[in-house]
Amino acid sequence: MKESEKKSVFKDLYNIFFTKHWPVWTGAVLAGILNVLMFGIVSPWSGSAGYSSWGKNLYKVVNILGFEETPSLLGNKWALLSIMIVLGSFIGALLSKSFAVRIPPFGELIKGFIGGSLMGIGATVGIGCSIGGFFSGVPALSGGAIFLTFGLFLGTVVAVKYLFWEMEKFPKISTGKGFTYLAVSQDRGAWQKWMGLIVSILLFFIAYTYFQADEYVLGWFIIIGGLLGLISQRSIFCIVRAFREPFMSGDSTGAKGIIAGLLVVLFGFVVIKTMNIGAGETALRAREMSFVHSNFWLRGLLGGFVFGIGMTIAGGCAVGTLWRMGEGQVKLWFSALGFLLIAPISSKFITPWLTDILPFNMQYKNYLPDYLGYAGSVGLVLVILGIWYWFAVWNEKSGKFSQF
Amino acid sequence: MEIKETIDTKGLSCPMPMMKLAKAMKGLKPGEILEMFGTDPGTRADLPQWCEKKGNTLLEETEPEPGVFRFLIQKQ
Repeated sequence: MKESEKKSVFKDLYNIFFTKHWPVWTGAVLAGILNVLMFGIVSPWSGSAGYSSWGKNLYKVVNILGFEETPSLLGNKWALLSIMIVLGSFIGALLSKSFAVRIPPFGELIKGFIGGSLMGIGATVGIGCSIGGFFSGVPALSGGAIFLTFGLFLGTVVAVKYLFWEMEKFPKISTGKGFTYLAVSQDRGAWQKWMGLIVSILLFFIAYTYFQADEYVLGWFIIIGGLLGLISQRSIFCIVRAFREPFMSGDSTGAKGIIAGLLVVLFGFVVIKTMNIGAGETALRAREMSFVHSNFWLRGLLGGFVFGIGMTIAGGCAVGTLWRMGEGQVKLWFSALGFLLIAPISSKFITPWLTDILPFNMQYKNYLPDYLGYAGSVGLVLVILGIWYWFAVWNEKSGKFSQF
Repeated sequence: MEIKETIDTKGLSCPMPMMKLAKAMKGLKPGEILEMFGTDPGTRADLPQWCEKKGNTLLEETEPEPGVFRFLIQKQ
């Protein structure tokens, strides 16, 4: 192959991956495959556990609220995974020359913090976040995840109405001077591409140090986190878009994409659970119950509702917040700050109080195959996803629920 | 080409730029042109799709300064 042809191949590959955004379904399917891989290694993907670990470690450093015994985030797979999602997105933004520090008007920063705080409360009083509770919980055939999903829908609808009301009544909240730093134009700014390569090497070096220390799970989670960040940034993979857009622009591509990803995860998780793959010393029943959370219905619904409001106001779900941080969206830095500061407080003070007042029959784990068998449970999830798909497509054509 | 209205969404992230655009477009008459400035990379993907769906015309997309995008949209 001639030198010029080699250059042309690299240029074509670069253009495919980094010139335009990928379709959402591509990102969702790839994220779904990585989620299945994580379950094969040890456990399905969780988002809120990462934020909680960050927050607890912060409180540990300043020695308040009794989190002194919290393990270091450098040894916590969820904390590391979340850090690497930010780093992976940073790499994606740099390689596509779209990284910039984007500072919105002050009101938007406050909304970011409030939205993140609500996500922190929702994830802890309920049964997890948009990733662990929904993108992993539904395919894990958790009955509670179904309630969480309805809660997310309800919360999103309420928050969308709030956003339109705010824009009409208090337009100044989202108005004002915004600032952008370190941006480059598309025909220049090669330094971002070089920086992207350097950070990629750094990420693999970090993983290498963990492999050298025989920390194989953490090593793989670092690499998977980096890939998840890159994939999410390039494909605009965000759960909130899937829930929100039918009630805003009517666009169904986000919902279709997430449904495609969920189908991949559903298939993989059911194979892993029924075949006990990657269980090691874990008993079959414990493996089956992975990501089937306690407090299956009222708390699932309530947590989903609060989380749905939070992610819509923040403009990013658990993973959407992480990858937008890496892209330089400062509003989402405030969202992450709210999430990591409030989640530990909520789990320590609000959640025990809620558990005490709820009747016992709302608190146990509900594993759908215990009631419907595997075929019935998968069928139920497929019916729910089918209804969601039909609704998103019908609404896109009819504009019945979309606002603009 | 006469620009009827200009909106500045610089610094704003999804979904605020599209919400502000939709609100501003409602106030225009058919054929009138809106100018929009923004910095959110997601808007570059969302805006052409939205215009196509609504029948509006994206007349121009430029980058007047690094990281800042300028869109000219004509209402149908």
